[in-house]
Amino acid sequence: MSETIKTLIVDDEDLARRLVREYLGKHADIEIIGECDNGLQAVKDIAALNPDLVLLDIQMPKLTGLEVLELTGRSSGVIFTTAYDQYALKAFDLHAVDYLLKPFSQTRFDEALAQARKALGQTLPALENLLEQATEKLERILIRDRNQVHVIPVEKMDYAEAQDDYVSIQSEGKCYLKTQRLSDLETQLDPKKFVRVHRSYIINIEKLQSIERATKDSHVALMRDGKQIPISRAGYDRIKAIM
Amino acid sequence: MHPILTNARKLMWYLAAWLLTGVFIALLLVAADLAQWGSALWFALPATFLYSFIASSAYYVCRSLPMAKRHFAFATAVFGGSSLIAGFAWLAICQGWNQLAHLLSADYAAVQVTQHMAVVLFAAGCGFYLLSILAHDVLIAFDNVRLAERRAAESRVLARDAELQVLRTQINPHFLFNSLNSISALTTIDGPAARSMTIELAQFFRQTLALSEKQAIPLADEIALCNSFLAIEKIRFGKKLGSAIEIADDAQRALIPPMILQPLVENAIKHGIRDLVDGGTVSIRAFAREQWLHIAVSNPVDSQPSNAVGNGTGLKNLQQRFASIYDGQARASWALADGQFTVEMALPLAYTEI
Repeated sequence: MSETIKTLIVDDEDLARRLVREYLGKHADIEIIGECDNGLQAVKDIAALNPDLVLLDIQMPKLTGLEVLELTGRSSGVIFTTAYDQYALKAFDLHAVDYLLKPFSQTRFDEALAQARKALGQTLPALENLLEQATEKLERILIRDRNQVHVIPVEKMDYAEAQDDYVSIQSEGKCYLKTQRLSDLETQLDPKKFVRVHRSYIINIEKLQSIERATKDSHVALMRDGKQIPISRAGYDRIKAIM
Repeated sequence: MHPILTNARKLMWYLAAWLLTGVFIALLLVAADLAQWGSALWFALPATFLYSFIASSAYYVCRSLPMAKRHFAFATAVFGGSSLIAGFAWLAICQGWNQLAHLLSADYAAVQVTQHMAVVLFAAGCGFYLLSILAHDVLIAFDNVRLAERRAAESRVLARDAELQVLRTQINPHFLFNSLNSISALTTIDGPAARSMTIELAQFFRQTLALSEKQAIPLADEIALCNSFLAIEKIRFGKKLGSAIEIADDAQRALIPPMILQPLVENAIKHGIRDLVDGGTVSIRAFAREQWLHIAVSNPVDSQPSNAVGNGTGLKNLQQRFASIYDGQARASWALADGQFTVEMALPLAYTEI
């Protein structure tokens, strides 16, 4: 076991990071490769440094710990730390995902570390389930674009269009590409506000101007920004059902 | 207490209604050719005046049988019985007064009370009494509704006060646990700093407990609380967090409800400065002008709002508290302009407790 475990510490409070650093200092095989004080930085560093282990605070500015994992697609080698967050903790307990409650002792920290060590490199089903559930009721769409992260509140999305392996998301005159299937996005959105009007389109009802007849038995959705979106027959039934 | 007899204004209306009834009786007498106008009025008005006091006893009859406890048969017996008695009383008043008036004044041409007329008068007396019962019932029902409304309003205010009491003394767990974590980190890094943070934390909670028991406190005390809070948060957030507090001399001793600024400062950090990579400064300004105390709390916010953006509950609570304490005399408003979020308040200026 000469290999060291490359570790990244993510927490927005300097003292909290220093405490973790101190606790890690007792373990010779740990190599601290960086520290991040916000979620955006963490996304960049996880992608760039590919650490074996991430000590991740849940409540952070910019992005939460769970959003960091979603954006990086990571579901292994994570130890969560948190002070208090009723909702997050309920989800963690539900899926039996371990976490450290601040303030924690060296002993408790060592236990969590031992657990994480055993599972290094393996994806954890419990964590995958947790992340899946966390994105079930989507409030913000997160898009990673090389070195940038875009955060789009769902209500600001005009429509989404399927493009090969991507979804292109239109919001406030801008277009973003996200690696995701349109059907997956559909399940995450509130069906009362977003409708799959076509095999390749989901529209935001709030951003719909009108529905026009295109030919004798086909319709198009005219959006507020002027875009015309085709409506399939099944899509027409769906949109009629909620309007 | 009788609601009509003890209230001059109501009594006037009540008597006016009865005198009108008297005029009506006189009109019937004239129409039936039983008396001249003069005699008819002289007969009817004093009799109705006297009877009005007997009829007011209907209030006690109604009260003795509250609406909710009325059984049909029993209520019929009581109301019927009492109106029969009142009917006899009315007849007796009419007869007695008729004769007395005749004795007193020679001009008075007594109304001929025939047997037929006595029956009509008796029936009218019973009817008047039943109407009086009905009117009193309506009156009591109105009073009950008003009372219930007032009680509901009172209990709403009490519930809100209790809720605020809880809010005020509630320790924000996130703040507490993070602070303890900071102390835990400091113990090995910098022992004396750990100790001073422990003392700051204790002092903050002590101040919170002391202030939240009071109705009103000098602004300077609330500012001291904010300073304790900021001292702790500055240890947690380091250089990221700055503060600028400017309180004019005439505002220092002005009274405010306790715990209105500290939650605003807390939110300024939680929803504003914490999101900014380079941090920012919370500023509090206060001054007195004319009869108003103006206070403003402002902080920079991130252009890309994060998930930590609040839902405005704290600010709505503040407005509700102002509404219940100052009854519309205090204002709280907030605005976001040029990346700066500002909460402005204007309270009636007071230096001694109202």
